[in-house]
Amino acid sequence: MAVWALAASIRRIVTEERDWPQALRAADNAPVVEELRVVLLNGLRAALSGRGDVGEAHLEDFTQDALVRIFAKLDEFQGRSKFTTWAHSIAINVALTELRRKRWRDVSLDQFLEDGRHFAEAVDESAPADGEEEREHLVRKLKRAIAEKLSVKQRAIIAAALEGQPFDQTVALLGTNRNAAYKLLHDARRTLKDALTAEGISEETIRTSFAS
Amino acid sequence: MKPVTKEQLAGLASLVGATREQEINCSECAVFAAEFAERQLAGLPLDETLAKVEDHLAVCPECREEMLLLRRVLESGN
Ligand SMILES: [Zn+2]
Repeated sequence: MAVWALAASIRRIVTEERDWPQALRAADNAPVVEELRVVLLNGLRAALSGRGDVGEAHLEDFTQDALVRIFAKLDEFQGRSKFTTWAHSIAINVALTELRRKRWRDVSLDQFLEDGRHFAEAVDESAPADGEEEREHLVRKLKRAIAEKLSVKQRAIIAAALEGQPFDQTVALLGTNRNAAYKLLHDARRTLKDALTAEGISEETIRTSFAS
Repeated sequence: MKPVTKEQLAGLASLVGATREQEINCSECAVFAAEFAERQLAGLPLDETLAKVEDHLAVCPECREEMLLLRRVLESGN
């Protein structure tokens, strides 16, 4: 471990000597809430530095929202990590969820499903091959599996993922929740993988055929 | 729909290749994200649960982005 990383770890351990959850639950918790607010604000500033779309006012807003979320989830903290690391992870999720919301496209459910219907056709099996036989074979089988093995919703959810559509927007379009949408996507990926391996294409080939 | 680009196909192949029979979802990943980040940063081994976090990060760009930022926070000494 580099010296600076070690120093950072020691600093974290030192600051973790206090029982944050207990202090936050106390009746006179105002000073500790303010302390946590500053910790989270500094964390978000470090996490999001260099992003042109995030100003100081956004950081303050994300921090306030994160504090609310942390209080709501306080009972879920299991002590598996330092409290501040856990709190930072929540603050980052709050901030990115908000920032991703700004990237939501103007798309209807019909359009979303329409993309699913035409997904297989949108895959040109020869163009990405660059003359590589193995890759062309993989893409051909992949295209076929997309067309034959996946439902329209499964095709749509994969197409949206490839387009970089924020997952929460996909969830909203499907009118479901994140866990159910994740299952739909996971089942789709698994179906494609099974179809390819049934064609004798190894996991290694699937993962690496585009690597070069 | 627009033609699928070579980069998107590469992304799909990598997603499909990294798919596991059993995966944890984003909410389950979030429960263990802090512990995963600390252990990874300290170079400590991952147990079976944390290995599932690693598998999830391979197929979930959003959780991967959040993990990257969490590491950045820890590395900055916060
Ligand atoms: Zn995830």
